[in-house]
Amino acid sequence: MPTTSKDATMELLDRYLQAVRKYLPLRRQDDIIAELRANMESQIEDRESELNRPLTQGEFDDFLRKMGHPMLVASRYQTAQYLIGPAVFPMYFYVLRLAMLWAFIICMIVSAVVTPLTQTGGQAVIDALFRTPGILIQTAAWITLVFAAFDFARTRYPETCPQIPGINQNWNPSSLPPLEKAEHSGKPRSFTQTIIEIVMGVLFLGWLLIIPHHPFLLMGPGAAYLQAGPFLLAPVWWTFYWLLIAVNIMQIGWKCVELARGTWQWPSRMLQIVSKAVGLIPIAFLLTTPDHRYVLLKNPATDQLHYGQNLDQVNHGLHFAFCVVCAIVVVQLAFDIGKWILESYRRHEATAL
Amino acid sequence: MTAAESIFENLRLELRRGCLTLAVLAQLREEHYGYTLRKDLAERGLEIDESTLYPLLRRLETQGLLVSQWREEDKRNKRFYRLSPDGEHILARLLDEWNATNSSISRILDAPRAEAATDADNQ
Repeated sequence: MPTTSKDATMELLDRYLQAVRKYLPLRRQDDIIAELRANMESQIEDRESELNRPLTQGEFDDFLRKMGHPMLVASRYQTAQYLIGPAVFPMYFYVLRLAMLWAFIICMIVSAVVTPLTQTGGQAVIDALFRTPGILIQTAAWITLVFAAFDFARTRYPETCPQIPGINQNWNPSSLPPLEKAEHSGKPRSFTQTIIEIVMGVLFLGWLLIIPHHPFLLMGPGAAYLQAGPFLLAPVWWTFYWLLIAVNIMQIGWKCVELARGTWQWPSRMLQIVSKAVGLIPIAFLLTTPDHRYVLLKNPATDQLHYGQNLDQVNHGLHFAFCVVCAIVVVQLAFDIGKWILESYRRHEATAL
Repeated sequence: MTAAESIFENLRLELRRGCLTLAVLAQLREEHYGYTLRKDLAERGLEIDESTLYPLLRRLETQGLLVSQWREEDKRNKRFYRLSPDGEHILARLLDEWNATNSSISRILDAPRAEAATDADNQ
């Protein structure tokens, strides 16, 4: 059986201890290594006297492997270190989630308002999307940094830090927040309310349907001006109009189905989201209108010189307004989807338990 | 390792952690250096890795429960540990706690058997 020479064994032991030393706290390196060496040498001697021969290379390798990787051995001598301790972590995580949500909302609103003023087309949307992760990462980094600094100061200088209720001071149970509304809590939608919603929906639909024949119902005196003036509405409004009618019919139909199925008291969250998403289609259609031509001139050949500039301003203003409306609906939709996912996740976790 | 085994292993380690500290403190009522302490514990049925034991000794010393000194033995310098006065006091309290917990668990485990015996007697 091939055995290792004493020199070879000692060299490997030195190499092992040298590797451990690299990861040890500076102040205690020599002391810990001296103790480890003494213990390991005793152990090797003991084993060799049991076997009545020096350890083989394989046995020595096994011995070191059993001791553990140098980094692991050294790590056991370190005190537990963390960036944000368990006392502060729940608060940090709560603030982080809130900040990320608000950063995302603000980022979306700013992009929706500023982007149309500075850029146009699909590239602007792509640029805005690529900017968002960077902003979110920066937000998370700053919050982590602030909390890490706070936790560092709190653990080292507890007397100079503000008191955190429940962590380093007595807390008052009466200061607990009031009960939050659970799912299906609060007042259910009544049968009368559902009927009124359907009737109002039908009336609104009827009003929409007669607008083309009586435009003053929508525009008031402005209808007469539009008829007499040099402008006319672009054909894109007709498509928008019929999309709007379709969305309204769908919403009325959905409420009727709920009524028939007896589920009007607690409307489905998913259907509410789908309804809101479908409502985006007419606005999105208007946004994609080529050259943002919502209003045209009746006689471009003769009126272009006089009204061309006004026409551009009106079309630009309308486009901007649609962008803002679209951004608001998208943010609402994102919020609803997030809330729905969170509720589904909580329900899933609760049933899993 | 399956999920169940992994859960068992984590719980086993959690359970062992406190017991090891108690065993080390109890064993160090007599002076030992790291390697002989490990050997003595193993002979009494408590195997403990070197990489767990040696840092534990340091930690207990930092907490003031152990005292240590370097001394030459068998032509080799070794660090010998023993229980400090504070350590003795803490060990006594920990042993009381250990005995109380042990008795409670025994009573909890015996309760269904005692109930079954009472039911059998009543029938």
